[in-house]
Amino acid sequence: MSNEESLDALRERLVLAALEHVPFDGWSTKALRHACQDLGLDSSAAERLFPHGVTTAVECFTVLADRLMAEDVAALPLAEMNVRDRIIAVVKARLTRWAPHQESIRRALAVYAMPATVAGGAKATWNTADAMWKAIGDRSADFSWYTKRATLSAVYSATLLYWLDDQSEDFAETWLFLERRVEDVVKAIRLRQTVGTSVGKALSLLPNPLAFIPRPGSGLGARRSGGRRNGL
Amino acid sequence: MSDETVRTADMRIPGDLTKEQFMDRLVRVDHAGEYGAVRIYSGQLAVMGRGQHKHTLKHMLEQEVVHKDYFEKAIADRQGRPTLLQPVWHVAGWALGAGTALLGERAAMACTVAVEEAIDEHYAEQAAQLGDDEAELKQTILKFRDEELEHRDIGYQNGAEQAPAYPLLYGAIKRGTKLAIWLSERI
Repeated sequence: MSNEESLDALRERLVLAALEHVPFDGWSTKALRHACQDLGLDSSAAERLFPHGVTTAVECFTVLADRLMAEDVAALPLAEMNVRDRIIAVVKARLTRWAPHQESIRRALAVYAMPATVAGGAKATWNTADAMWKAIGDRSADFSWYTKRATLSAVYSATLLYWLDDQSEDFAETWLFLERRVEDVVKAIRLRQTVGTSVGKALSLLPNPLAFIPRPGSGLGARRSGGRRNGL
Repeated sequence: MSDETVRTADMRIPGDLTKEQFMDRLVRVDHAGEYGAVRIYSGQLAVMGRGQHKHTLKHMLEQEVVHKDYFEKAIADRQGRPTLLQPVWHVAGWALGAGTALLGERAAMACTVAVEEAIDEHYAEQAAQLGDDEAELKQTILKFRDEELEHRDIGYQNGAEQAPAYPLLYGAIKRGTKLAIWLSERI
């Protein structure tokens, strides 16, 4: 078991080292081999650690980034923040850590955009949104579990693309973009609640359809349920 | 073996679920099941809310709400995923409850018997797979199972077997419940 764990740790060290080479070689076996040399590993270690190719290396990096994000967010005073601020904080945490490696992130997106891996890219985005909600302490156990992740996936991927091209100092433009996106989501939720309440009110004005059906215990139904009733 | 404590998924062989996968499925399907049960009793109450079984139904509904809340908390604590089919169970559960109640009080009781028997078998199976590392959950599941059996007995006492087309109704609902369990574990 410990052997397996150390292999995963080694994979993570390798992809982190590869970040230095990816801007030149892309997410390729070449970049991973250079990273192996940096770590003092046999250059065949790249293939042995990622026998299914560079896509798995990119996936390994994504999972690592999600975990580090959760660690960064855990250090924040979440209890004092509302959901809106928490979402902004968690997306910031996800991106800020990789600011020196923007080019490698861009190249990772290129890997996920290839036809063979596009499903993996969608899954990775979903997993990141999932990790984000978990990191900020979401406890939903109903259908909103899905809508929350779908919405945040959209917000996060849009913000990620904006961030990749952001030339402003300390990514100030990206954070403004992010705030506007989150504001849209909050507005949509409020609108849904308002519409839901008014539809509910309108429906409550209509008579209950069950009132028209004879039931056991009330009038006609009471007589029937006592005797034979051919319900079928 | 004897001095070692039995842990969940100790008996797994290659190809079986890992403990994490097993626990993930367990809280999802149990939450879905209790959610469905709440909806079934709500549906029955909507029709039979003024009938002679009013208090019995309310009592059973209250117990199911406690069960549902327990698994809701379990999903949040264990960072699990609720079933994607929840909106389906929301409608189907209520329709099953109200539908059988409209067939008559005995048909409603037959529905209770069929559902609760399927749940009883399901809980018994789960409890057998849980080890000492999940003792608290195991005890809770066994306690819930006893309450589900109590509901089943209430069904029998109130003439479930005299319902119209009882074998057909019972078979269809029990099979439907098992299908719902199978789906909720996975989706």
